[in-house]
Amino acid sequence: MNVKRVLAIARKNLRGLKHDKRTVGFLVMMPLLMITIFGYAFGGDIKNLDVYIVNFDQAPANQSVAVAIIDDVATRDTVRQVRVYGPDVADASAIDASLSRVRDAKAWALIVFEDNFTEEVGAALGAMRNGTFAMPGSFKVYIDGTNPNVVSAIMTDLQISIQKVLASPVYGIVPPIIATPELVYGEGAEFIDFFAPGVMGLAAMMVTFMLSIISFVHERSQSTLERLLSSPATEGEIVAGYALAFGFVGLIQSIVILLTAILLFDIQIQGNVVLALSIILLFGIGNQGLGFVLSSVAKNEFQAIQFMPIILFPSILLSGVFWPIEAVPDLLRPVSYFLPLTYAVNGLRSVMIRGWGIGDVWLQLIVLAAFAAVMLLLSAYGLKKRR
Amino acid sequence: MAEKEPTAGAGKMRIDTEAVKEPVVASKLRKEFDGLVAVDDLDMRIGRGLLYGLIGPNGSGKTTAIKMFVGLLRPTSGQAHLLGEKVPIRRNVHRIGYMPQELAIYPDLTVHENLELFAALYSMKDSDFQESEREILKVIDLGERRDSLVSQLSGGMKHRTSLACALIHGPELVFLDEPTVGVDPELRVGFWRYFQDLKAAGRTVILTTHYMDEAVRCDVVGMMRGGKLIAEGAPKDLMARAGTADLESAFIEYSRRAVS
Repeated sequence: MNVKRVLAIARKNLRGLKHDKRTVGFLVMMPLLMITIFGYAFGGDIKNLDVYIVNFDQAPANQSVAVAIIDDVATRDTVRQVRVYGPDVADASAIDASLSRVRDAKAWALIVFEDNFTEEVGAALGAMRNGTFAMPGSFKVYIDGTNPNVVSAIMTDLQISIQKVLASPVYGIVPPIIATPELVYGEGAEFIDFFAPGVMGLAAMMVTFMLSIISFVHERSQSTLERLLSSPATEGEIVAGYALAFGFVGLIQSIVILLTAILLFDIQIQGNVVLALSIILLFGIGNQGLGFVLSSVAKNEFQAIQFMPIILFPSILLSGVFWPIEAVPDLLRPVSYFLPLTYAVNGLRSVMIRGWGIGDVWLQLIVLAAFAAVMLLLSAYGLKKRR
Repeated sequence: MAEKEPTAGAGKMRIDTEAVKEPVVASKLRKEFDGLVAVDDLDMRIGRGLLYGLIGPNGSGKTTAIKMFVGLLRPTSGQAHLLGEKVPIRRNVHRIGYMPQELAIYPDLTVHENLELFAALYSMKDSDFQESEREILKVIDLGERRDSLVSQLSGGMKHRTSLACALIHGPELVFLDEPTVGVDPELRVGFWRYFQDLKAAGRTVILTTHYMDEAVRCDVVGMMRGGKLIAEGAPKDLMARAGTADLESAFIEYSRRAVS
């Protein structure tokens, strides 16, 4: 292996990019856009869900449990109360009008308190104190269940209000059991902290794979490969030159993502940044090798691009980028453990959020190094076989 | 059968001494693609310092033969030696140059960057490269476009850049596959003058062409048809033996004789 020839091939690939300003723009902007869009789209909680309320509760406003719950919900922004029909105006037509808004998907939910709601709550509380039993006070939530996340957001918000109202001095009821989380890792971590390592892995994967497969399809179609192979450059040197160039590009992208995430979303990094970037570099080299290998089965750019979704979708969905691997059905779980992105994202999160060192992520490092080594060997072997 | 595989030691000695005169030796070189014979037991010897033209119609096996010489294709049987080394060569690979039939240069790099890449792959020293680049850019008349992207050059300029990439490292044995195809007449004259210069400098140049009229400028012409060498010799002798006034008619005559 002649280092100068490896460097010459790496330089050639980077120079080609340098002259293509649009591609350079893409390479920098894509990860920046990815982290920004994902950060804002997933980072925030669900907010301002439109809800109608029809309150028949006959208790005076200052004693009404319904009013207390409605007022408490209004202190947060999960739900936006589009219209509240008080007991003075509540009637069947109010329910019809509100329900049709939900049916037309103009609002997410309709909450209805019946006229004896406060009374029922009072009876249930009294029974509890006397050690007897009475039906709990209840109200109905007509809800559009199209999006389970919305259902859970609205119901959780209502539960919070119910507990707060019960805990108020008027009733003084505190739940007898509370679970208190003591954070082992991730003190002050938000969703974006969980998310940024995933996006770094994903961006590195997309770009190194794409650059490598397209460049190499060109290398074959424009016959420059023949020229390289007839020169003193060996297969191994060509493969190493490619890995060096595009691994470097993947690294730069990760740095862009990291900087954006720090500046824009104030993410926390507990561990060693160099270790995190080393994980990305190994993973990027593996993916460029994969692109290299698959380029031999692609006759043109169009066929090369067809590999993108095939490679990307399983990784995006099964590697724990957006939700934990535990959420993957048992049947598909083995696939998760087979995907390199799983190890890259897991390793990155351990370093960035848990602050783990090299001794704790050795498994991920070994798996990624093996992935890279196998792909590079296959690439070199693929070139040799042509002769 | 016995003479096809001489003992290793003796064979090597024999080839090495002959290589001084004959940098290209092919014996019973054969290539089949899925049972189709592209090169049919080709025997060939090309002497040092010659301008050798391999001519024949498309599909006659010229390119396949050259690709076996430069190590891009593995012979089905038979063997070839370049500069005394059995193909695919490794030890002497920096002493040969190859210009593929396709342009085979990087359109997203400048002329200079293309040249620099190949110079680096052939481990040229910086000072040697600078001198060689200056010289070759003068020959191909692209000095002013040195820093232009290849994709912005005209077809002829790209072609000249491709030739330059094959010659930048000063190879003593050069294979040029259809170097003049698609090249305008004026430039073609320039190319031929340059091939003569290379020859004068002691290089061996092997080129293919299907423009038979221009092959008269070669020292030796090999006529290929159906993967076989059907005639070989100086253009004048070939025409005289065939009793024709031009190479094209001579080729037709030799083809006729080969079939009958």
